[in-house]
Amino acid sequence: MDLVLVQIFNGIQYGFLIFLAASGLTLVFGILGVINLAHGSFYMLGAYMALTLTQMTGDVFLAVALGIPLAVAFGAVIEWAFVRHLYARDHLQQVLLTFALILIFNEVQRIGWGSYPHSVPIPSYLSGSIRLTDTLAYPVYRLALTAICAALAAAMFLVIQKTKIGRLIRAGESNREMTELLGFDSRLLYRVVFAAGTALAALAGMLAAPVESVYPGIGERILIISFVVVVIGGIGSIKGAFLGSLVIGVADALGKVFLPNLAGVVVYAMMAAVLVARPGGLFGRMVR
Amino acid sequence: MIRLPSWPVLLLLVVAVAVFAALPWMAGLYTVKFATRILAVAIFVMSLDILIGVTGLVGFGHAAFFGLGAYAVWFVTPTDDGANLLVALAAASGLAGLGAAVVGFFAVRTRGFYFIMVTLAASQMMFALFHDTRIAGGSDGASIDVKPYLEIAGRTVLDFQNRNTLLWFALAGLVAAYALVLVLVRSRFGRVLQGLAANETRMNALGFDGQRYKWAAFVVAGTLAGFAGALFASIDGFVPPEILGWRESGLAIMMVVLGGVGTLWGSILGAVVYSLAEEVLKSGHWVGPLVSEHWPIAMGVFLIAAVLGAPKGLAGLFPARPARPWRAPSDADRAEAAATTPAPMLEVAGLSRSFGGLSAVSEVSVAFAPNLIHAVIGPNGAGKTTFTNLITGALPVSAGTIRLDGSDITGLSAAAKARRGIGRSFQRTNILGKMTVAENCAVAAQARGSAGASRAEEERAVAHALAAVGLVDRADRVATSLSHGEQRQLEIAMLMASGARLLILDEPLAGSGPEETARLTALLRDLAADHTILLVEHDMDAVFSCADTISVLVNGRLIAHGSPDDIRRDAGVREAYLGRFAGLEDAA
Repeated sequence: MDLVLVQIFNGIQYGFLIFLAASGLTLVFGILGVINLAHGSFYMLGAYMALTLTQMTGDVFLAVALGIPLAVAFGAVIEWAFVRHLYARDHLQQVLLTFALILIFNEVQRIGWGSYPHSVPIPSYLSGSIRLTDTLAYPVYRLALTAICAALAAAMFLVIQKTKIGRLIRAGESNREMTELLGFDSRLLYRVVFAAGTALAALAGMLAAPVESVYPGIGERILIISFVVVVIGGIGSIKGAFLGSLVIGVADALGKVFLPNLAGVVVYAMMAAVLVARPGGLFGRMVR
Repeated sequence: MIRLPSWPVLLLLVVAVAVFAALPWMAGLYTVKFATRILAVAIFVMSLDILIGVTGLVGFGHAAFFGLGAYAVWFVTPTDDGANLLVALAAASGLAGLGAAVVGFFAVRTRGFYFIMVTLAASQMMFALFHDTRIAGGSDGASIDVKPYLEIAGRTVLDFQNRNTLLWFALAGLVAAYALVLVLVRSRFGRVLQGLAANETRMNALGFDGQRYKWAAFVVAGTLAGFAGALFASIDGFVPPEILGWRESGLAIMMVVLGGVGTLWGSILGAVVYSLAEEVLKSGHWVGPLVSEHWPIAMGVFLIAAVLGAPKGLAGLFPARPARPWRAPSDADRAEAAATTPAPMLEVAGLSRSFGGLSAVSEVSVAFAPNLIHAVIGPNGAGKTTFTNLITGALPVSAGTIRLDGSDITGLSAAAKARRGIGRSFQRTNILGKMTVAENCAVAAQARGSAGASRAEEERAVAHALAAVGLVDRADRVATSLSHGEQRQLEIAMLMASGARLLILDEPLAGSGPEETARLTALLRDLAADHTILLVEHDMDAVFSCADTISVLVNGRLIAHGSPDDIRRDAGVREAYLGRFAGLEDAA
């Protein structure tokens, strides 16, 4: 029973991390109309950035504080150099170009950090566990991680619901062409959204670094799972991504307990079930 | 239409085949193995082009079927002996085809991004299945110790253990697969697939069951991928679970796009060029150790340059063969023998449709007599388009019945109604963009009747339709290059060719100048000789001059129905058009 409870906690925490990555992906797809396979690479680069910056500063949260502006700048540069050429292209070419970016980023990772797994230390003030019940203890960092992600999710909803840029994002999400016709400079909006999406993925990677080992393939795992979440939630829907992330996080964690051999199948089976019942995702509109 | 390769391309292909066939005399073991791998991958990539290029379905899980084929060889290989080669190939194609039938059944119900995701999810599930369980070696992969061979009467005829045999077999397999697929996609079946890629809505409105065609294409592509997988497994005798995963699928898409989508031979070229580029970059021989050490970066740069520099792929750099010019069949004048039977009569009773609480069409009852032009008019938002969508089956009805020549067709699907002879045009022109005018009509003619038309009937119908709308001299033009008015004419030609007897035209005159309007209304009058026409139109002058009856919809209700003169005198209609909507309740 304790194992199940721990896995539910782990699932929620994993779900929040997925949400950070998936929300970036769904924004970029919903607003820019670009399928970004390289999104997972931003998560991976975030994790490695946390590794290096933590080694330099001694604290993963300092690393995060330094890493976010770097990730935003990096996203803006990638958008300017590559992604903006894809807006008028079809899905296939987007897939091809962003796949090429994955090749490059993976090699950059190998040059910079090598192929061996690394670990990032948990800050001393958050190490250890707290007792939840008589028989159950849970690591403090994981709880803190969950709290931070929840706060970020809340902040994101506030930005999208209450601010001017949030209104533009909502407008762009529901009708991209119309937003352009209204004369808004979509180039700026696109760059901001892409940079924000990059930063969200990198942030997820940075925060996850202390609980997961940092190894070359982490980006691809989160990419596929983020796509699953985006489809379950409905393309472009932050609310859907939030719900989808938690559902998938918990399902994945419980799957490992109850169906250890089929854990990899569970999340995809759930996605298939959602698509059969609601072809546009939980909160989606149909997109071509 | 997917064309036969042009002469320069054919020459290139022949030379390439000769080079591959001669490799055992020219190069060492490693090169022969490498070349065999390219051939197996080329078949796999070409099978993906059936989905992406021909049918317009971006499958992101195609490696699953390639991998299933590879694993099938392992499944049928006994311990300590090789499998029968024919059994191995049949098992590989069969298992992959079966897998494609299951995945495709669900996948073809989705579109665009969702299709990408469903196929991706399916392949990832299969990857997880083979990676996490021990059904075939688990994460270590499966080893095939003795490769398949074929023994006839005690003599070994083909043995995949022999590298040269495998190379030549794979080469012959690729040539045969290319020829077969080329014939398939240029057949009438393939033409429907290309129609679906160009415009699925239009194809469904013509009466094709798009999902079934897409499913068939999916199974064909999966089966061929499985065949390629069996060859691949025989090269090293080793099948890693990663072969099923999304990276392999992604690579295959890369090669299709790099080579040129929808040309078939382009995907072969893509596979060859990609593999060669990777090999050249990996070995420091030509590019120096710095590049070869970090070859993925060079590969990435190469791909980015290819996307940005050659959007049509490498095949786009070669001359394409022009379409074979369209010729009217010699017996074109015998066309439309069926036209002597009277056109159908359409009756609707109590027809209603509501969206949520809002009723868009309510309680409309009216009969449309054969061989006349019936106009449906009304202010914006009156429910005209909803009304036509109910009749064509694009929307399900909330209440009421629709009868065609007395038989109830209310619950039939759009495709089934189209096969009963209901043809429609759309508010926005809706043609099969990349095809020529004659091909557009030919696809439409193919949809005739429940059993489909013979080639000869089809050709006569095309000739008749083109002549009737006056597009004979445009027959070989690509449809998108026509003027707006000509595209409208083409839509009507497609409806005629499709054998539809009840034509539902949604604003055919919208956006037309006075001359085009005059030509189109004259055409409609001619058509009424053997069709029943339902015309939704805003151009009142045109409506009152060419319609036999006029029905007026306001707020989803039929407020008047009669001859143009009746309607002109009707007080309620006048009020509606003078904008005094407040008084309508009384008038209606």
